[in-house]
Amino acid sequence: MSDAAIITTNNLNLWYSGKHALESVSMKVPKNRVTALIGPSGCGKSTLLRCFNRLNDLIDNVKITGEITLDDENIHAPSLDVVTLRKKVGMVFQKPNPFPKTIYDNVAYGPRVHGIRDKNELDRIVEQGLRHAALWDEVKDRLDDSALGLSGGQQQRLCIARTLAVEPEVILMDEPCSALDPIATSKIENLIDMLKEDYTVIIVTHNMQQAARVSDYTGFMYLGKLIECGRTKQIFEHPTEELTENYITGRFG
Amino acid sequence: MAEKFHTELDNLKCETVEMAHFGRAMLRDAVDGLIRQDKVLAESVVARKEEIHIMEVRLEEHCYQLIALNQPMAKDMRVIACTLKVITASLRIGRYGKVIANIVKEVADNPHIANLMSIPHMAELVIEMIDDAIQAYETDNLRLIDAFSSRDDTIDALRHSIFRQGITYMMEDPRTISRCTHYIMVARYLERCADHACKIAENVQYMETGERVEIH
Repeated sequence: MSDAAIITTNNLNLWYSGKHALESVSMKVPKNRVTALIGPSGCGKSTLLRCFNRLNDLIDNVKITGEITLDDENIHAPSLDVVTLRKKVGMVFQKPNPFPKTIYDNVAYGPRVHGIRDKNELDRIVEQGLRHAALWDEVKDRLDDSALGLSGGQQQRLCIARTLAVEPEVILMDEPCSALDPIATSKIENLIDMLKEDYTVIIVTHNMQQAARVSDYTGFMYLGKLIECGRTKQIFEHPTEELTENYITGRFG
Repeated sequence: MAEKFHTELDNLKCETVEMAHFGRAMLRDAVDGLIRQDKVLAESVVARKEEIHIMEVRLEEHCYQLIALNQPMAKDMRVIACTLKVITASLRIGRYGKVIANIVKEVADNPHIANLMSIPHMAELVIEMIDDAIQAYETDNLRLIDAFSSRDDTIDALRHSIFRQGITYMMEDPRTISRCTHYIMVARYLERCADHACKIAENVQYMETGERVEIH
């Protein structure tokens, strides 16, 4: 990989109650690029994704060894504030999960938590977040409506706007389109392509065509191991590992 | 569904091999018609042009359908990409057979000059290259196409030699101009057929390894 890395994992292992869910994962996530994680169900893609913002800390009986660095800083260092980490590393989930608040308050929520009170500043952040998430034109006249009244695709873009509002460096997306119809999916994919101008995106997807369409780099995982990681073009045209070849050509999975 | 797709892909390959053999047979019969001055055989080659065109359209459509419905990746994608090239090359080889068969009709009524020069030998070598290219595609066997570059050099040298020999005969006796021009054209068509065999070989290499090579 020639692009500079923003996240690096080195010999990362993770156990859930003794089950070895990630085995010696070493990878580099290039900055301002989209990296897709693919693999069959239960291979550890989401677990790996949730390591990057330490979301696995919230689960009991998890043991992690090895190292993960963000901007060359160990994210497990005692001095590191996990709230700051999650501000830098935002996340969008499979199912859109807007707060039961107005559209405006959803986007303003993060900045308010981080202490921004000035109305003009919040207005600016909300507009910018919604614009970056390609939602502004659709909701600018009804910012005070409930977010729950939006369509699924709009809700998912609102969640992306909410993530962007705290100015993260990295956006983690866990199956962001699996609950959406093809048109909404297409909008999110276009958005992902635009987001990499300013952010690093890591996306977990079951949909290999989606991985091929949106990502610059792809990692293939199998039974907790990262089998192969490289440029998407190479992985989908000519993978190095036979296991990757067999998975992406549908011979198992 | 993946299993169904792979069965269809295998069928596509089998049918493409059939088409390649069909094109190769058109060339073989055209050359035999030329050597034996057999107008009937030549006519039968010309009559096959519609059939090979129908094969081309049907197989290409099959490829496009597999791409549209299955979004193939990795080797599956490369097999279809290679198959499309094999289809085109096979059509061209068959068409050169047809063109040579048309020449047979022009030259069959008078004896050959210099036993057709090196055309029969050249044709044997070209058809061997076509056979090896088809078999490499069918069996994923790259060893069959190992020496294609030097084999193609031999074909180029033979074409040049036939050209020079033809010019010599024409200068000696202008009455041979028409016939020798036909020989020179046949040598040119055979050389193009060898180039198509090389194209198939290049694509088989890509299909198997993902690497692009150029065979001159």
